[in-house]
Amino acid sequence: MRKIISGNEALAIGAYRASASFASGYPGTPSSEILEHTKTFEDIKVQWASNEKSAFEQALGASIAGRRSFVTMKHVGLNVAADSLMSASYTGVNAGFVVVVADDPGMHSSQNEQDTRLFAKFAQVPILEPSDAKEAMGFMQYAFALSEEYDTPVIVRSTTRVSHTQEMAYFDMHKLGGYENKLLVKDISKYVLVPKNAIARHKKLLERNAKLQKLSNETPINRIEQGTLNIGIITSGVSYLYAKELLPNANYLKIGLSWPFPIEIAREFVKNLDKVIVIEELEPYIEEQLKAGGIYVEGKKFFPQDGEFNLDIVEEGLAKASFLEKTPKKYFEVPDLPARPPVLCPGCPHRPVFDILHSLRVYVTGDIGCYTLGAAAPLSSIHTTVCMGASISMGYGLAKASLNHKVVSVIGDSTFLHTGLQPLIDAYVNNVAYTVIILDNSITAMTGGQPDATSGFNIKNEPTHKVDLENLVRSIGIERVFKVDQYDYQTTKEIIEQEVNTKELSVIIATRPCVLAPKKIKEIPYLVIADKCIDCKRCLRVGCPAIGYKDNKAYIIEDSCTGCALCAKVCPTNAIVKGDVNE
Amino acid sequence: MNKSIIFCGVGGDGIITASNICANALLRANFDVKKSEVHGMSQRGGSVNAFLIYGKKVYSLLPAKASVDYMFASEKLEALRSVDYMNEASIALINDRIVPIVGAKIDQDEINQYLNSFPFEQNIINFNEVAKLHNMQKGVNTIMLGYFSKIIEIDKKHFTRAIADTLNPKLIDINIEAFEIGLNLS
Ligand code: SF4
Ligand code: SF4
Repeated sequence: MRKIISGNEALAIGAYRASASFASGYPGTPSSEILEHTKTFEDIKVQWASNEKSAFEQALGASIAGRRSFVTMKHVGLNVAADSLMSASYTGVNAGFVVVVADDPGMHSSQNEQDTRLFAKFAQVPILEPSDAKEAMGFMQYAFALSEEYDTPVIVRSTTRVSHTQEMAYFDMHKLGGYENKLLVKDISKYVLVPKNAIARHKKLLERNAKLQKLSNETPINRIEQGTLNIGIITSGVSYLYAKELLPNANYLKIGLSWPFPIEIAREFVKNLDKVIVIEELEPYIEEQLKAGGIYVEGKKFFPQDGEFNLDIVEEGLAKASFLEKTPKKYFEVPDLPARPPVLCPGCPHRPVFDILHSLRVYVTGDIGCYTLGAAAPLSSIHTTVCMGASISMGYGLAKASLNHKVVSVIGDSTFLHTGLQPLIDAYVNNVAYTVIILDNSITAMTGGQPDATSGFNIKNEPTHKVDLENLVRSIGIERVFKVDQYDYQTTKEIIEQEVNTKELSVIIATRPCVLAPKKIKEIPYLVIADKCIDCKRCLRVGCPAIGYKDNKAYIIEDSCTGCALCAKVCPTNAIVKGDVNE
Repeated sequence: MNKSIIFCGVGGDGIITASNICANALLRANFDVKKSEVHGMSQRGGSVNAFLIYGKKVYSLLPAKASVDYMFASEKLEALRSVDYMNEASIALINDRIVPIVGAKIDQDEINQYLNSFPFEQNIINFNEVAKLHNMQKGVNTIMLGYFSKIIEIDKKHFTRAIADTLNPKLIDINIEAFEIGLNLS
């Protein structure tokens, strides 16, 4: 079949073709669509987990049960699953087990840049780095075979550009064949990591490394491409494509399996070349491996260690290394324009909460999700955002440390279940007085509306059990638990205000579902009666993208307005009314 | 020689779908195609770009600055934000509208002046008006694509098949109709 596919779709197809039959993950851009595509395959049992560690261990369990399995996450998710990864490297696997991690160089939607290759080295598990969608499909298949042959988890590392690029590919949708599920194994010495067993497993791991090292120098995915110029480029991932576009006739050492590093091929490669450089995104991983092996070639001297690469950056670096002459180009200068940052959607149920928090002037610890956008002007009401689950634990610390500040932690339902529950238990047990607001929109909205344990449906959109957050929170023992409907602005404000001023731990669950998912919610749009508008700009301060401002009057863009009525509720002159009122 | 297109717009206004249809049309026209976009935060009303490169054999996932052949912009500010990808020989199709930015003052005349100051060919048409005229408010981007297909010189039949490949079956007929409207626009 000839089709345009994305890297994430290719990873899913690769897993299917390799006969994977179990998959789990936690959504995170740019990895989320891998499972979204996987769910279309009947033969694969697939689900979202509450966090990456749980997802990782589910897939490991399935592997031990004899089923090829994989887990997906973004780079920061691997931090959460790191504990499991380090030990799974010791236990090894039964049926093939692949860890798909999507890095986000350039931080298009992440809190940091991380290079998963360093994790592979740290955990001593092989890592494959596809350059594009076509390779992603093939590497995924290869990863399962490697995992079984060498008894190890295998990481497939994508990046935003690989995951989200779409390209033309030829492929067929048949399973590769020759693979049978395995039997469940009971092998205590392998899977029970008490010290005695772990000590033995560590030795096995080192033996495995030696074999993998040999493989790395022999596998066709670490390949030399002969060119006609007497210069060499050692590269991996998307950097390969940019270099190839600019210097098609150079010699290439294209690395697909980057840990263990193919040092012998590299030695072979540099032998007859006048000049060799390394091109790699993020960390100088390849460069360090080369230098540790006694091959002194430069890389980061010419190319940045931060940000996502593109043709211009690679061209710049190649010019610095005198590999090419940069063709002088005439750039049109972009005028100084106001940025168009992402904003909470029109009608977003988080908006009233942030408008209230803003007016109460409290200190707000935030978390990872759509609601992080509450930090942006004009709402400007989140003061910290570090990582998943950190709002509640940091709010705890802040509340304990500075008794004079009113502290509020905001967290989404998905994030709360990811890693927010444990710190809430800590806060209860240690009697910390602050207010936690769970923004329960019943979905993982940020990453595209994946269901979570509060949604009531699963990844395939089938109805399923759902967790009742109120019961869950009460079961900890917390008594001050309130449910509010954020669209009922006045009551919500009163309750938040009351709780902020009460010196006790309280949890407020804001219950409005996301306006976008699972179904787009749209009511009759509102409009501004121009004559009544006194130009106070109060409605503009709620930061709704459906509200515009022209000729000293607010106006509402009919197509965008969802009819949430927030602006109408804050307008002091009742100038904003439901659109059909006047008709 | 490979050619490249930049699609620019505001998150959620259908720029990704338009670029998908275009990519499929180019595939149908027998090109090697690579397309890249930025997901995530950009879907919450932020700036969105998608890049498409097509030709005999494409390596790079993104075009270089000052090297893009065509621009498809669903909004003027976003068109302006990406002019560094254009050069004197580039051709732009720009929907004549400005989407307000929360908290920013935008001077329409200034925006027009800026755009006028660039020497590449610009087709600035109010496609929202065209859509309204035909009672096709939801098909604005597809009408634009119809017009755009003439600029990039790709046959209609590839686009109609691409629309059928890409969109929900219920939307195919109406979008093909919208495409024709754009195609016949002079
Ligand atoms: S809040 Fe009401 S009076 Fe004030 S600017 Fe908005 S519409 Fe006008
Ligand atoms: S009612 Fe007001 S706040 Fe709500 S979506 Fe419409 S314009 Fe925005």
